[in-house]
Amino acid sequence: MSYYTVKGIVGRGFPILFVTSVIGIFSGQILNFEIERLVSMPLILVLIPALIKIGGDTGSMLGARLSSSFHMGLGTHIRKNPVVRNSVLAALIVGLSACIFVGLVVWVLGEVMGIGMPFTTLMTLSLGAGSFELLAVFSATITIAFASHRFGVDPDDTVIPLIATLGDLIGVSGIFITMHILNLI
Amino acid sequence: MPQDTDDEDEDYELGIVEEYMGEYGSISSIVREALPFELMATIGGVASGVILSGMTSELALIPGLIVITPAVLGMRGNISCTLGSRLGSAIHMGLITKIDRNPELLNNVSGSLLLSLIMSFILGIIGHLITIGLGLQSAGMYTLTLIAVLAGVSSGIILSVVAVLLALGMFRFGFDPDNVVTPAIATIGDIVSMFMLFMSAKVVLLI
Repeated sequence: MSYYTVKGIVGRGFPILFVTSVIGIFSGQILNFEIERLVSMPLILVLIPALIKIGGDTGSMLGARLSSSFHMGLGTHIRKNPVVRNSVLAALIVGLSACIFVGLVVWVLGEVMGIGMPFTTLMTLSLGAGSFELLAVFSATITIAFASHRFGVDPDDTVIPLIATLGDLIGVSGIFITMHILNLI
Repeated sequence: MPQDTDDEDEDYELGIVEEYMGEYGSISSIVREALPFELMATIGGVASGVILSGMTSELALIPGLIVITPAVLGMRGNISCTLGSRLGSAIHMGLITKIDRNPELLNNVSGSLLLSLIMSFILGIIGHLITIGLGLQSAGMYTLTLIAVLAGVSSGIILSVVAVLLALGMFRFGFDPDNVVTPAIATIGDIVSMFMLFMSAKVVLLI
């Protein structure tokens, strides 16, 4: 009898994948509402996958760190806890640096591909949508991590897939909210 | 007074945490380790964005394609990253040492592929139903499911091969696969699955 079985892998993976797929379909629906405008602005299509990934990535890192610190018995209080505070600040620095980087790379690509948009517009969009996304995703991460710790579920199994998917949903919403504020759509 | 004891306990615990945290928890050490990987993953994201921006005619011709796109990418990332992470654990436990007809290796790969197949079917079906339910236009359950299954299974096969080769190769050269496989798969996973989604959409349009 082997340690890993097909049945075990499918059985453990299915429930969480089902939940994340349904949330993913809703992120897709938000894109679908604006599909005609998106098709007319291809540079925004270049920006979207990278920008929505940042929230999920840094949120997953934060979730993994919180979960490890619970496993090591380092953190049980949300406020005043240096593990939580430093992890959140570090994830915020990493996330915002990545947003600036995405804005730059996409602007350069836009110039190269001949579908350029003004630099300030792109930077405002990626920093504005990015900050909204990071703050929302981190709040969700801390809540889910502490809740699953409190209810005795291993945060490693729940936090990361959920946060990666929620990151997409919040990221897509953040991009459209910022585009509305900037009067792009 | 119970309240006072609680506060004292909390202060004591936080004192211990401050003392033992040291280098593990300092902001600069976290940023130094995480930022290079995040920037690499960002480049992968931009590359998949470039593929997406080249898909505008498919996106216009197949209503509902954009709906399943984030879910297919998310599913791909989840399944492949957990495969990479399990391969790392199996290598650390000495269950897998090389590429052969090892049941642990076969079960890991076939379990991931079966999961991809089941989830792609479900994605196509619920993608269509939710789109119709919201009163929007959809290319139909058959078309969306076919695209999801073609893209999900083909990118699953490619990424499984990459994950196995990368995990065993890194192990052979003395690296810890856990540190390399998951970030690498997360980065190329988006590019491969977006490309396969593009190809599947083209194939379905030809039929």
